[in-house]
Formats: sequence, structure tokens, C-alpha cells
Amino acid sequence: MLDLNRERLLQAYETMKTIREFEERVHIEFATGEIPGFVHLYAGEEASGTGVCMHLDDRDSIASTHRGHGHCIAKGVEVKGMMAEIYGKDTGTCRGKGGSMHIADLDKGMMGANGIVGGGPPLICGAALAKKTLKTGGIAIAFVGDGGSNQGTTFESLNLATIWNLPCIFVVENNGYAESTSSKWSVSLSGNATDRAAGFGMPGVEVDGHDFFAVYEAAGEAIERARNGGGPTLLECKLNRYYGHFEGDAQTYRPQDEVKNIRETKDCLELFRKKVTSDGIVDVSDLNAIDQKVMKLIEESVVEAKAAPNPAEQELLTDVYVSY
Amino acid sequence: MISVGILANPASARDVRRLIAHASTVTVAERCSMIQRALIGLARMGVDRVLIMRDHGGIAQGLELAQKNRRKDQPLQWPKLEYLEMEVGGEATDTLNAVTMMCEQECRVIIVLGGDGTHRLVAHACGEIPLACISTGTNNVFPKFIESTVAGMAAGALAVKKVQQELVCLRNKRLMLEINGKAQIPALVDICVTSEDWIGTRAVWRPKDLRELYLSFAEPGAIGLSSIGSLVLPRARELDEGLEIMMEPSSTNGIKVEAPIAPGLITEINVDSCRPLRLGEPKSIRIPKGTLALDGEKEIEFNAEDQVKITLDPLGPWSINVDKIMGMLAKNI
Repeated sequence: MLDLNRERLLQAYETMKTIREFEERVHIEFATGEIPGFVHLYAGEEASGTGVCMHLDDRDSIASTHRGHGHCIAKGVEVKGMMAEIYGKDTGTCRGKGGSMHIADLDKGMMGANGIVGGGPPLICGAALAKKTLKTGGIAIAFVGDGGSNQGTTFESLNLATIWNLPCIFVVENNGYAESTSSKWSVSLSGNATDRAAGFGMPGVEVDGHDFFAVYEAAGEAIERARNGGGPTLLECKLNRYYGHFEGDAQTYRPQDEVKNIRETKDCLELFRKKVTSDGIVDVSDLNAIDQKVMKLIEESVVEAKAAPNPAEQELLTDVYVSY
Repeated sequence: MISVGILANPASARDVRRLIAHASTVTVAERCSMIQRALIGLARMGVDRVLIMRDHGGIAQGLELAQKNRRKDQPLQWPKLEYLEMEVGGEATDTLNAVTMMCEQECRVIIVLGGDGTHRLVAHACGEIPLACISTGTNNVFPKFIESTVAGMAAGALAVKKVQQELVCLRNKRLMLEINGKAQIPALVDICVTSEDWIGTRAVWRPKDLRELYLSFAEPGAIGLSSIGSLVLPRARELDEGLEIMMEPSSTNGIKVEAPIAPGLITEINVDSCRPLRLGEPKSIRIPKGTLALDGEKEIEFNAEDQVKITLDPLGPWSINVDKIMGMLAKNI
């Protein structure tokens, strides 16, 4: 049976809600012009990051993509620090020097959002090899998009993970668009990455990425398998993003009502709410209380980020090089 | 014009049983290849037209590429291939809509590539049109592993009336399901009542969660939940009865069987009771809360307020006997 008691269900909801409200707020704030650089929003995909990362602990590492806010929050990176980082402030997770696409917190096992498409898989192969060698019991997970699944680095990593039997998972978050190119055009066999795993002798599993329970169950099995020496898995989550590839993307490549239809029929938070309250395991008031808590957190994070200082000029060359 | 439909599910055989067991993977590329082989068999028998669904899984795209990129020195040996004009959402309703259209366009046979779940959906919409059942799913009890070239030939022979339907087809049983008086899509092989709260990935594999099992048949050599029945009291597909099995993992009574409930997964099942399931006798399930798995996939969550009834029914789909058809085509010199 899925180990989802009331406490875990509330935790799942809070994580997904935090991601959603964080992204919706960044969407609003980015339009003011105060946020430097680009942002790529994860709204709509919350069930994937949450369903996977709920199984993880501090032994485990994840590597993300340019669309990394959701993975950061799901892995436990501090929300206020994230917002400050997006604003480029000194109180940010990376002292304001990385921005949205480079948020990292190694103490939480978050190896970083990544501006290089397909940049995560090779990193987690290294992390997984370290965990296997040091016998920590930890595993490593790379999130990659449908576009990233076409990158040579991803294929190399799938191969390496198999031949070295690494404790890792490759989560392909297939939202149907690599920037503005439909995955039906760019990913062989009409946009399905799952079958690629078979070519490497790796199990490939496909789940509905809008369904937290499906993601949670499949990820749980893949993670347990990896922890117990069973090797890597490719997990493809089919889902949708609500916003463009980047904020400012007019999304002319999408059918007109596509996002509206998805929000109305497949929204992962609404599906989750409906499911857990229909059985009486969780009360609507519990979820409403979480909503209020999250909104307060997001509001505070924006206020504090705006008020925080910029990095000082003398910090220009600190935190740039690794020193041993 | 003699028409045949082909319904291939691109989504079967991709669930978590690839992880927790050693369930095989039938890639989309292989499914495309299987369809092409079936098309050759159909063409050789004289079928003029084949209707096929566009899908989000890559099968239709693969066939279009095969047509476009064929070798110049080899003519395409297919019937005329037509893609159904319909909205495709990547959901189960695609299958129901596609099969309905195949019926409306007078397909004489429908070739199905999928597992028990796919065949369940096709059977619900196909009416009296016989099915050629090719296994590409995980638990394949209803369809068989057969070479699709031969399946194409057999389906084609039936479509062009080289053989008579009453001699080569079987009328299958089905399990009718009613929830609060409302009919659901019937199952073809099994309905399992589990104590799990959530549908999740839909796969059924944890023996401690299995409580009740209703089978339309239980043939020796089966994989999946019906293997539980076949190891206690085998029931042939042709028999006018099925099985009703109660399971309680914590009970010290009953019979223990080692059942292959998924490919590569053999588990001990404690069978408290097993009795024949008669045609037309409705059964009410006993546990107050859980999920219902139909043909190996969890589909429906229920609670104490729901009234769930299961009845074995004789009017399931017609399926063709490929071996019999090919035998009847022998010249017998």
C-alpha cells in the first residue's frame, strides 16, 4: 500500500502549493522588470518534482534544469533564499550571483538548477558513483526535459549509469515542448522517451505527471531499487507547463485554449485536493490552512528579497573558484 | 471494399512492473513493425482497406515514416491505410472512439495490439465484430503471443470470408461491474478488489493488498491475477462459469499457492475460499473500502457508501482462433 498517511498527504500538498504560489508570484513580479535575467516557470508540473523528492533525504542528490524552482522547493531549499537569489540579492541562496537558473544548495543535496540543457545527467552519474563508492546509501536523480532527453550528454549518462550500475534515476519531465518545438517533432516516436531506456538495458516507466499518486508510487519503487543496488531507471512523467519556455514567451506555438483546458481538467493540485478530501482523510479546512500559510511565506519572501542588499562590489570574485 | 481495423495501444507495457518485476518492454518501434507485418498478411488475403487510429504514442508516426522511407526496389505490400479522423487526447476514450468509428465504417475484423486492459476497452465498443488479439501488454491472458504476420493472414481470411466465423471464433465471457446501479466498462478476465486506498500507478502487485478476485476464466499457464485461480481450480475459457476467490493475507486457514501474478513476480497467496462463479449471479463485494482493479489495472476507488456488484456474463466479444483459421487454409494434399 502507498505509505501516504494524513501527515504525508498534507506535506505533499504543502510542497506542491508552495511551488505553485512561488511560480505564480514570480510570474507577476517578473513583469515589473525588477528581476534580472530570465526565469523559466515550473507551474503545472508540481506533482512530478514533489512525487519524486518526497522519497529523498539528505543522503540524496538531485540535479535540475533551467526550470528548477520546483525541484529546489521539493528538495527543501529555503524559499526566502530562493526568492532573494532570483532577485540577485546578497541574501540569496547563492549570494545573488547565480540567479534563477543556478540556484544550488549542496547541504540539501540540490546540485543546482542548470542553464545547460542536458547538463544534469552527467553530474548525477558522478554523484551516484560517489555514493556507491562511499556506501552512503544515497542515490542521485537528474531531472531533464523532453528537449534535454535528446542531448548527447543524456544518452552518455544513460549508458554510463547502466554499465556501472549506478544508484540513480533519470526523470524525464516531458511537457511536450522543447522551448517552442513540439516533442512530437523532435523526439523520435512521437515524443516518447521511455522506450530509449530499453536500448540501454534499463527499465523505463511512464506515468501521468499530473497525478501525484502515480508519480509518488513509481518514483518510490525506482528509488528503492536504486538504493538496494538494483541500478538506474528512466522515469518519464508526461505533464504540461502553464507558462512559456521563459517569461516573456508569447507561446504562439501552442493551441489557443491548451493551457486553459489543462488548468480546468488536469491541474495536479486540484486533482490532489479532490482525491484526498473525498475520502475524508484530509479536511478542506486543513488544505485551506496550508494555502494561507504558503501565501504568507511567499509574500514575506518577496518583501524581504526586494529589501535585501545587492552583493557588494568586493564580493565580485568570491565564491567563483573552488578552493580546497 | 473489405475493411479491417487495427487498434494498437502505444501506452501498454510501460508501467511500474518494469521495475518491481521483470515485465517485458515492447517498444513503440516494435509495435510499428508488428503492424506492418500484419498489414502484409491482410493484403495477401485480399483485404482492401485498413483503418487505424492516430495516436500520441508514435505508432501512426512510425507507420507514416515507414511508408515514406520505404525501399525503392520493394513495392509496399499493404492494403490502403486510412487514419481515422478523430480528436486524440491520449486517454482511454481514444480507443473507444476509434473502435466505434471502425464499426461504423464496416470493418469486418479488428486486430488489437495490447494487453488485457486494451482488449477490455476494445471489447466494450466492438459489438459483434470479431477481434484478432495480439499480446503487447504486461499481463497477457486474454490476448496471446502470436506472430502478427500470421494474425494478419488469419484476420484477412476471415474478413474476405475464406472461413466461416461460426467455425473459427469464440464468444468470450465478461465480468459486468455495477457501482451504485451504474454500469461500468466490463472486464474480460479479472476484477480484483484490493485494500489499497489509491489507484497510483494502477499496477497490482502487492499480495498483502489483495482481498477478492472474480475471474471469467483461469487457464493453466496464465500470468497475472488469473494464475491464482488456475493454481487452485482451473477454469477453461470455454466453460460456462468462472471463479470467485477470497484472500486474506493474515489468515492461517486456506490454501497457499505460489502464483506468478506479474512477469517475473511469483508470490505466495493465501486463498481462503475458491468457488465457481455462475453466469448471471450477481456478487456484492465484501470489504468496505479500497480499489477495484479491472484486467490487472486499478481503475476505481470505492468506499463504504458504494454498492459494488459483479456478475459473470456470456456476451463478451468474439475472438478469432488464429491456429484454427490457418489450419482450415491448409490444402491437405
